[in-house]
Amino acid sequence: MSDILTVSGLHAGYGAGDILKGIDAALPEGKIITVIGPNGSGKSTLIKTLAGLLPVRQGEIVLAGARLNEMSAPKRVMAGMSYVPQEYNVFRNLTVLENLQIAREFMSGGRAPKKNGKVIDDELLALFPELPGKFRALAGNLSGGQRQMLAFACALTVEPKVLMLDEPSAGLSPKYMADIFATVQQVNARGVSIFMIEQNATEALRISDTCLVMANGRVRLCAAAGEVLGMQDLHSLYLGDAREQAALV
Amino acid sequence: MLQTAFNGFVTGIIVTLPALAITLLFGVLKFPNFAVGAMMTLAAYLVFALNVQLGWPLVVATAVAAVAFGGFLIMVDYLTFKPLRERGSITLMVASLGLGFVLENIARLGYGNTARSFAIELARPFRFLDIRMNREQMIIIGVSTLAMVAMYVLLTRMPIGRAMRAVSDNPALALVRGIESPRIIRWTWFIAGMLLAIGGVLIGMDRALEPPMGSSYLIAVFAAAILGGLGSPLGAFVGALIIGIVSELSTLVIPPNYRIGIPLCVIALILVFRPQGLFGQPYIRK
Repeated sequence: MSDILTVSGLHAGYGAGDILKGIDAALPEGKIITVIGPNGSGKSTLIKTLAGLLPVRQGEIVLAGARLNEMSAPKRVMAGMSYVPQEYNVFRNLTVLENLQIAREFMSGGRAPKKNGKVIDDELLALFPELPGKFRALAGNLSGGQRQMLAFACALTVEPKVLMLDEPSAGLSPKYMADIFATVQQVNARGVSIFMIEQNATEALRISDTCLVMANGRVRLCAAAGEVLGMQDLHSLYLGDAREQAALV
Repeated sequence: MLQTAFNGFVTGIIVTLPALAITLLFGVLKFPNFAVGAMMTLAAYLVFALNVQLGWPLVVATAVAAVAFGGFLIMVDYLTFKPLRERGSITLMVASLGLGFVLENIARLGYGNTARSFAIELARPFRFLDIRMNREQMIIIGVSTLAMVAMYVLLTRMPIGRAMRAVSDNPALALVRGIESPRIIRWTWFIAGMLLAIGGVLIGMDRALEPPMGSSYLIAVFAAAILGGLGSPLGAFVGALIIGIVSELSTLVIPPNYRIGIPLCVIALILVFRPQGLFGQPYIRK
């Protein structure tokens, strides 16, 4: 199976130092890859660099044969990379409907026509049963789980090639957490490849194909999700090994 | 009392357009633009040139000048603010103060300090419920109301308006929702330019054209925008009306010369008791 997204030798960061120090990763088409690792290992920096919010300092990002390095964040969206940030992932002062309208109008670069005059097609809406009743509500007034669902729906309105999720289950109640992972699976079943960062490793790895473990801006391990799930020291992989961290500092 | 309240209403409604311009610019660009007063002055003199010197009807002159001034502000942004965009809001604010001096003095250089007025026929004022209203005041109310309705439609019903609100709500998210911010910034300047040009003409009709005409409204305009909540278009409208009416009514109890203190008091009270304004969202530091 061909890789839809490949990252090679990626360096990026804030200020003088690099946070990512040569990341290599590949996402096969139609698969789910989950990135785990301790706080400060560079997971969020990686996803922000992929989304185009941080510049690539070295290395290359390729989506379906097209080099993304020089593309702005909006251009990457139009090329097929949809990103759901961890927090502040909906426009709080706009209504649910307006959030969806913006996604449809701008994420496609104005190319996506309304389907049967609807801002979001029924098949997609079926994944988010709570949204239709809330179209007129301000997105800022939704619960955390509903906001996450809205952010998902926005990211999917333009049928992306890759959906990037930054800790989709962070701060959610157990009910919504299960819903979120079920939705991720359903989205994946529609053929969307998924690149996900998650603290909730056990749940995330159950639905993933591949697991990438990061530490100190590098890939520590890349293996089949099932294999990582079976490891005795899974916790130390994503919580980080204190002694190792201390030695590196 | 009723007459004073009506006069205050007219003053307030004149302030709505520049207050809306400030709030749009602040929402998208995140800095208070102190050049709005001088911008209104310059636009009013542009209309004066077309209306009085070239003999165009005032409506045509205003429409042409509004579009031209919108384009002019895109150029001003390109030359003045764009190179400073990464330096933060204080730098941009200081730059806007400097730009204000330059623009106001361009008007002064061209037309001197003498007060001038547009070529409009004089009409007899009429009375309604014991309130004396003149034709200019009716035009001011009509034009401002139309402009506010147009802005409402733009901001809520049109993609570009929604995108402006989205950028002002969360710039980073706007990028990953496919919104190209440079395009939105150009649109914001263009629309602000149109609002300021119309606002300048209305001030010129209400009083007279002179170089400090725009900057004399600056404090009231900022008080209106802050009272309503910077970044909230509805707030700018309500804030402007409150400031106008309260300032004018204050002349019943304090000497008219001290009227200018009312907007300053409002700014101080709002900043102490409700910094986000009436309709603004509390600022969340990310």
